Amino acid sequence: MDEKVEERRADDLFKEFKETSITEFFRKNKAHLGYSGSIRSLTTVIHEMVTNSLDACEEAGIQPEISIGIKKLGNNHYLVRSEDNGPGIPIKHISGVFGKMLAGTKFHRNIQLRGQQGIGVAGVTLFSQTTTGKPMKIKTSVGKGKVNEIELMIDISRNKADILSNNEYSQYWRGTEIQCELKGVNFTLREQGPFEYLRRTAIVNPHAKITFTDPEGRKTVFERSTDKVPKPPVEIKPHPKGTEVDDLVNMSKITDGRKVSSFLSSTFSRMSNAKANEIQNFINKGEAPFDLNKSPKKLTWAECEQITNAIKEIKFLAPPTEGLQPIGEDQIRNAILNILGPEFEAILTRNPTSHSGGVPFQVEVAIAYGGQAGRNIGEGRKVEVMRFANRTPLLFDSGACALTKSVNSVEWKRYGIKDFDNSAITILVNLVSTYIPYTSAGKQSVADDEAIMKEIRMALMEVGRKYQIFHSRQRRALEKEARKQILMRYSVELAAGLANLTGKDEEKILKKLNTLVLEKLKLEAEIQTLEDDEEEETENGFDDKEGENDSEGGEAENDSGDEESTEKPVEEVEENGA
Amino acid sequence: MEREQVIKKINGLGKSIMKNIDDMESPNVSIPQRNINNITFNKSKNLLELGDKKSTRSFMNVAHSKRFMQTVLIAGKCRELVERDKTASIRELYYQLKHTIADSKENTFEDQSESDPLVVDLETMLGTLREELHLKADDKGTLIGNIVIEDSGDFIDCSKLGRSGLSVPSIVEHYKFQDVNADYVLVIETGAMFDRLVEEKYPQKNNCIMVSTKGQAARGCRRLVHRLNHDLGLPAIMFSDGDPWGYYIYSVMKAGSMALAHESRRLGTPQMKFVGMTMDDIDTYDLKKVTENLKDLDKKRISELLRYPWFQKKEWVKQLNLMSEKGVRIEQQALASKSLEFVAEEYLPQKIEKGQLLP
Repeated sequence: MDEKVEERRADDLFKEFKETSITEFFRKNKAHLGYSGSIRSLTTVIHEMVTNSLDACEEAGIQPEISIGIKKLGNNHYLVRSEDNGPGIPIKHISGVFGKMLAGTKFHRNIQLRGQQGIGVAGVTLFSQTTTGKPMKIKTSVGKGKVNEIELMIDISRNKADILSNNEYSQYWRGTEIQCELKGVNFTLREQGPFEYLRRTAIVNPHAKITFTDPEGRKTVFERSTDKVPKPPVEIKPHPKGTEVDDLVNMSKITDGRKVSSFLSSTFSRMSNAKANEIQNFINKGEAPFDLNKSPKKLTWAECEQITNAIKEIKFLAPPTEGLQPIGEDQIRNAILNILGPEFEAILTRNPTSHSGGVPFQVEVAIAYGGQAGRNIGEGRKVEVMRFANRTPLLFDSGACALTKSVNSVEWKRYGIKDFDNSAITILVNLVSTYIPYTSAGKQSVADDEAIMKEIRMALMEVGRKYQIFHSRQRRALEKEARKQILMRYSVELAAGLANLTGKDEEKILKKLNTLVLEKLKLEAEIQTLEDDEEEETENGFDDKEGENDSEGGEAENDSGDEESTEKPVEEVEENGA
Repeated sequence: MEREQVIKKINGLGKSIMKNIDDMESPNVSIPQRNINNITFNKSKNLLELGDKKSTRSFMNVAHSKRFMQTVLIAGKCRELVERDKTASIRELYYQLKHTIADSKENTFEDQSESDPLVVDLETMLGTLREELHLKADDKGTLIGNIVIEDSGDFIDCSKLGRSGLSVPSIVEHYKFQDVNADYVLVIETGAMFDRLVEEKYPQKNNCIMVSTKGQAARGCRRLVHRLNHDLGLPAIMFSDGDPWGYYIYSVMKAGSMALAHESRRLGTPQMKFVGMTMDDIDTYDLKKVTENLKDLDKKRISELLRYPWFQKKEWVKQLNLMSEKGVRIEQQALASKSLEFVAEEYLPQKIEKGQLLP
């Protein structure tokens, strides 16, 4: 009896230990996983749900239609509901998707996926369960006539889904609906809240229709602005450069390769047998040489460190870029026009390049002015910087982020933006990469990387120049209007004066004067447009250095244009003091 | 110039502007430049002359629009004045034309300082005199002495005006000089010195006419001295403070001003001489203790004068350099340190007698 009691106790203890360890893991890493603070936790939940839906739709080639609703149940107590028209989840995968921590298929897939952030929707299940003790409600169907309504919780001791109920019925419907209760969260309309998260998500996912109903019952629909569903990204092997020691350790544990050399050449891109030999040679020269013919499973941390050190010294071919999936200039433009309705926008997708010596990345930027651009702060608008990593909005830790720093490093004054902080301007930066160097596991800010920052800066400067042209045109239009006002006002007096001077009819003189003023201004505007076009041509020619040889023909054209335009201003010789 | 001719000139301006409008050109006028770049010094005549550089004032240029409109308003008003045979002061002109522009809070003229230079523009542009346009400036300057002037049928005996003397009007064209009994004209910068000399009966004792400019000389004053010198052959002598400002008043009396260079011929008195205060007086009359130190502005003005072509006579270069070296200026009234009578009984009579005058 005594023994039995003792056994049971041990069993309980062990069970308790396991239980604490996984809750402990979640508790300890909560902040890193996005569950810190009442505002951020709610945004993270929305992020996990939307990301799941978008990724699933894209992989299935479906135009996503997602609707999110948040309902207030009490103080810091909310009900969150998400619904999509995605491919649905086969019943056998449900447990894995919603009920198993860290089972996400996205870990260690060298693929540009949104889901690189966060720990997946299972984290939502756990968060809901630990704060309310209530299960996750899921309704899903792959569209073949059967719908499953499931309630599940995570069995913490086994890190497995515990399906509480499964109601299967016949209906032709496709998609997934998730519903859960959360406590200790708070809804806000601030920049870090769900609304802003969804607005920004909509901007970088122009193929998605996103509907949001906030706790006040206000419904916002972000319509899709394109029918084109982006192709799912191609999975590519990681490039040796940019591989960290712990990546190598983890990969070495799950490889099927029998030798370290074959593990390396089969795991990495641009890693030929010859390159593996170079690594061997490098290690042989080191302090603790070892043979790459050993089993990868037996690699120690120190040995992996030696390999990564060797990789740093060896040259590799640049990585393939087909794994990158930029949004594209047209798509961003559609989305910006759709959601911000600006007076002016300029978008640029740069060519792919690499950071950390070999990780491919690509930068997309946009600038929008007027309309709904800029952050609304009650009276007027302030500048708004939208940061994205692989299309996922980064809402937190903006100060430490290389994207923010790049934006601030641009001298906006040079592009006609005098008070950058207080301008009705939205700046969008999307960093696309198979590996994004975050500052921390919170994955809300990108670490300083010279190559990335330089690319962003260059891109921003280019759209900045476009803004400048727009801005000076706009300013000229205002000046022209002001001039017209002045001239029209003085015309009345001038006509009276001339009537007195010449004895002619005042009305007639005024009529003639008004015609003259309007005609002159119109003519000037036309000349200005001609000059602007020339300016833009030269601007383009500036970047294109190869075009220099063609300039002879172009110059002749410019000359004739200049003559025409200088003819008018001659009339208005400046008066040299009276 | 005949009245008809003046009207013809003003009408010509109106026609040329109307032609601009009919030709769909920006209405514009061409005005001779009145700055140092368009001024030359005629050494043989000792007069400032206006060059032929012109600037264009164009209505379509918003930097000019208002002034163009104002210029036309003034021209129109002048035509009216000439036709009605009325003369207005430039201040009256300003008030006649000042009103609020329709649908605005702006006035046609905000301040008289806006209309005054445009009057001069119109004079130079048309090649007419201010009085021919029936405009006049405010009275400034005083005359006293043994001369009878006929003004519109009245006879004014300038020796019988007590201590106040004749107030010099801005237009003296109509003055007719009758009985004159004087050897020279003494032009005095300050009113206070003028009063001192009146009290000392200087004009009677020295048989001269005295004119006070009361600071920088107005046109009427300059024209009057010119006429006394030119028409009556009376020598003119200037008596000013010993500082760059006094010396410049002398140069304007003598050679004309930059702003009215087009009228130097009528306003300047090239034969004029200068009696004091000179820098040499400080030593000669032992006035060191009553000098005043030069201020930065004075020093700046000295170097400006040294750059003007009409100050290049060796005597004047010497005076200005001496002033810089000593670092002081000397006022006319500093002579009172000797005695109140000193200026009238010793300083002026002696210097003029001996011909200790600067050119």
